[in-house]
Amino acid sequence: MINEMFDANHVVFNSDIETKDDALRFIASFAEHIGIVKSSKSYYKGLKKREKEVTTGFKDGIAIPHCKHKTVLKPALMLVKFTQPIEWESMDKKAVHITFALAIPEGENQEHLKALSTISRALIDETFIDSLLSVTSEAGMYKLIRRKFSN
Amino acid sequence: MSQKKIVGVTACSAGIAHTYMAAESLEKAGKEKGYQIKVETQGSIGIENGLTDQEIEEADVVILAIEINIDMSRFIGKRVMRVRASEAIKNPDALIESALNEAKSYGEKGTKAGIAKMGKTDEGGFFQHIMAGISYMIPMVIASGLILAIANVYAFQRDEAGRIVEWGFDISTAMGQLMANLFSVGQVGFLLMIPLFAGFVANSIAGKPAIAAAMIGTYIANDAEMLGAEAGGGFLAAILVAFTAGYLVKLLKKIPYPKLIQPIVPIMLIPLISTLLIALFVLYVVGNPMASMMNFLYDGLTTLNENYAAAPVIIGVIIGAMVGFDLGGPINKTALVFGTAVFTDTVAKYGIEGANFVPQTATQAAISVAPLGIWLASLLFKKKFSQTEKVSANSAFGMGIVGVTEGAIPFAAQDPIRMIPAFVAGSAVAGGLAAGLGIKFYGGIGSPLGAFIGYIEQPIPFVTWIFSVMMGVLVTAIIIGLTKRKVE
Repeated sequence: MINEMFDANHVVFNSDIETKDDALRFIASFAEHIGIVKSSKSYYKGLKKREKEVTTGFKDGIAIPHCKHKTVLKPALMLVKFTQPIEWESMDKKAVHITFALAIPEGENQEHLKALSTISRALIDETFIDSLLSVTSEAGMYKLIRRKFSN
Repeated sequence: MSQKKIVGVTACSAGIAHTYMAAESLEKAGKEKGYQIKVETQGSIGIENGLTDQEIEEADVVILAIEINIDMSRFIGKRVMRVRASEAIKNPDALIESALNEAKSYGEKGTKAGIAKMGKTDEGGFFQHIMAGISYMIPMVIASGLILAIANVYAFQRDEAGRIVEWGFDISTAMGQLMANLFSVGQVGFLLMIPLFAGFVANSIAGKPAIAAAMIGTYIANDAEMLGAEAGGGFLAAILVAFTAGYLVKLLKKIPYPKLIQPIVPIMLIPLISTLLIALFVLYVVGNPMASMMNFLYDGLTTLNENYAAAPVIIGVIIGAMVGFDLGGPINKTALVFGTAVFTDTVAKYGIEGANFVPQTATQAAISVAPLGIWLASLLFKKKFSQTEKVSANSAFGMGIVGVTEGAIPFAAQDPIRMIPAFVAGSAVAGGLAAGLGIKFYGGIGSPLGAFIGYIEQPIPFVTWIFSVMMGVLVTAIIIGLTKRKVE
């Protein structure tokens, strides 16, 4: 199921963004660009609203911005790496570099939600996080995530 | 030491990511420490990995890493640690340790706690056995009490000015006859509840073989006719008989019986011997003294109320405080049972004119104070209540307005040191005022609504009752406002 939600073109590295707000905008327009959402503006608003409830900044430089929104065309996982450190109010106060962005359509079925819960759970695995942080290419990132969730 | 068992529930507002991350990190940290851990997730998928009642029962501690309100009734009487979901992700090790060491017992609601402790008689104390008995008795008290209250409303015959001139059923009408019958039905419940209580207290002490002796013994002790006394021995007698029967049976169980008769020991030998001994003990030794003592107590209570102006206020304050203290727990229920018992016993003994309304009126005036106080505080001190707390405060209003104290339990469980004094103070004010102002609560809803739904005699119609209750509510709300911490 995760394979359907995660494609090679879902990975992108960015080197100029410096703030959380810009990062969310970037993720949203990237999502529109690869055809996951209809309107980047709506998706951005959704992400922003979710952040307002509680920050999605996790620890060790990881964040999982996500939202359920009717503008989402198909459920997806996107991986966006920011080379610049981004302040995300994360749990350990560390700056964020890697975001697992999740897009969930309104009224989504159980299987997709389950896949998302699997991804969330995987982030607790420290060795996985370590290897994520050490990957330097988009292709390498794609392979690593594919491998993690293929079993 | 055996392996520690931990159960948890995680839930976040979106139910997509944090719920599962929190669950995963708790499970991982728990396993690394060698604990047995199971975490239920309540996310957008629904409930997964659901906890069974048995797992909750066996757990040493419950960890709730939640941002939304979940159904807490499963955890009553358990040690519960409630934190935000992020807390479980950030530092699961510290969370588990502090839960194991510091978690406080969640909203002991006598009933369940009593049952939970049933059968563990070895380390059982006096109060634990009493609570076991009360927990079995409460459903009967409530069922028969409500039936009595319904019938009671029809028993007041009034003159043209609307004052009650006589208490009794007009059985010349079909309705009056029906209500008279219902009144008898309720009385049956009140007659049975005392032996029932004693039976389960004894059961808590020594198991099933003790039930017969305790129930039969208590029935006799409470039956004025059999004793040839003026009144039955009531609760005092029940407690005495139940404990005597319980420990007698416990002793009888210790005798090394020959193997051949062992199968019949618990079902025949012990019940027979203990019932015989207890019945004789009640009939010839304690029955009459206990009955006279009860009689003396009720007479004393009446004299006290009639001769000392301050007595009703003091009793009202104490009863009110008891109601607010544990919100439906054993102390609260004791006050409730005491109020009902005093009312019904004195009605039976002196008639409606001489009945003692004080404890019952104080209980009912105090019963809605804690949940309504929370609600009022959440309106007056908005900044001190988080969004979820405001939701809980609104549901506390819903419960409080129909006279259910338990609505305040979530707040007491969260912050007992600040909340309980506020509840006790407000409830005591309501109880003291209602009793001191001479209100007579016959039946109805124990909240300001009682002025409309129920029958209450008071100096100024509607006003006195609502004033007494609302003063208590106000006191509780103000104390909460002064002491509660601001939302982080």
